[in-house]
Amino acid sequence: MTAHPGASAPLPPARAASGAAKLVVPCLIGALVALTLGIYGRLHHPTGIAINIAGFSSPGSVKSWLATGAAVLALVQVGSALVMYGKVPRVTAPSWIGDLHKWSGRIAFLLTVPVAIHCLYALGFQHYSTRVLLHSLFGCAFFGAFTVKMLILPKQGLRGWVLPLVGAVVFALLIAIWLTSAYWFFSTFGIKR
Amino acid sequence: MRRNTPLITLLTGAALGVIVLVASMLSTPSSTPVSYSAAATSSPASPAAAAPASTSAPAATPASTSAPVTEPSLAPSSPASPAVSPSAAAASAPAPVAKSPARATYAGRVGGGGGSVAVAVHGNQVVAYVCNGSTVEAWLKGTADGGRLVMTGKNRARLSAKYSSGKLTGDVVAHGTDYSFSVPVVAKPSGLYRATAVVRGATVKAGWIVLPDGTQVGSFEDNSDSTDPSAVEAPVLDVGTGTARAGDLILRATPVDGLTGSGF
Repeated sequence: MTAHPGASAPLPPARAASGAAKLVVPCLIGALVALTLGIYGRLHHPTGIAINIAGFSSPGSVKSWLATGAAVLALVQVGSALVMYGKVPRVTAPSWIGDLHKWSGRIAFLLTVPVAIHCLYALGFQHYSTRVLLHSLFGCAFFGAFTVKMLILPKQGLRGWVLPLVGAVVFALLIAIWLTSAYWFFSTFGIKR
Repeated sequence: MRRNTPLITLLTGAALGVIVLVASMLSTPSSTPVSYSAAATSSPASPAAAAPASTSAPAATPASTSAPVTEPSLAPSSPASPAVSPSAAAASAPAPVAKSPARATYAGRVGGGGGSVAVAVHGNQVVAYVCNGSTVEAWLKGTADGGRLVMTGKNRARLSAKYSSGKLTGDVVAHGTDYSFSVPVVAKPSGLYRATAVVRGATVKAGWIVLPDGTQVGSFEDNSDSTDPSAVEAPVLDVGTGTARAGDLILRATPVDGLTGSGF
């Protein structure tokens, strides 16, 4: 709310700002996040290693399971959002649905962070196959889109379709990431710990 | 308060990311971006690095003397400025380089050009493949110790080699023929690929070596569990999709990559 791009001159308060203008700064920040991740992943020399979690056979399986957890929680996100918006026939939103939505989202996001760091630090932004290129692009875009979602959540006076749209983009990106990594991993190497 | 929670979520995620990143950096052996590639990429910048390095040289000497093995192996990698390599090694790698795990894939033609060899080094584990594109081929496994590889495979195949400054030099014996080689580090999509499948109860196994100029050689065993499997030329591997088509069988190849540990 406080930051206005290029508006250093004292202007009347942001009351005149339309719904669209409120999206500009969050979208710019989100784009910056996505670009930063991508550029880091491209420039940083991949080390091939990072911390591993005991009990799993390889970093690939750890990441696949974390990503699968996040993807399942993402399904909870869509379901709880549909209930909150009253889009599920014959279901009235229970009082705890908001908390379910918030906490499943928070946990899903936190599950993705170690995976992303491992990707960026150990493997980098790669493009040697279509799957890998798409995964790299979607991975960077996901964190940008999630940032946008978080930044516009508290804003008042947005058009009603904005949050569902951004949420859907975040969800679609996460599922695309999962399909190009964990699904590929499990179908290539088998479902293993 | 309520308006801030999404921001707190973001910041918590960012903090977690920083923690994981720092933990990853700490768990990375100090010289890991593998000395040869690091040295190779940093050598153009060496004039700039030389000045501070020379001033800090006295302080760094104990470290470099404690790791005498590193100097001979590193020195050839930056011939343009031999003065910088010991101090650079001491600054970036106080631990002996020879002991730290190397992660890389080497590939190239064997001497005489009768085939190719690819060796994926991932820490102490090594997987290698030698192939002439048809009948002569062997998979080998072994260990790396101090830059020296010893590997064996089926039918008395064996490989011994050592690596220094981005080159792997040695000999491989397969099908009774001794091939010598000296091959460089390669980066994806060049490298080693393997595919296995079970067809009518028999294990089929294919391997490909893709060289930096795009050429590839590969062999295909249609019953690799037999004591002396017969090999034929493998179908062309589509490196983009990682698949190859052998008749009505679609082979899905996995990169055997020393850098990432894929395929080990």
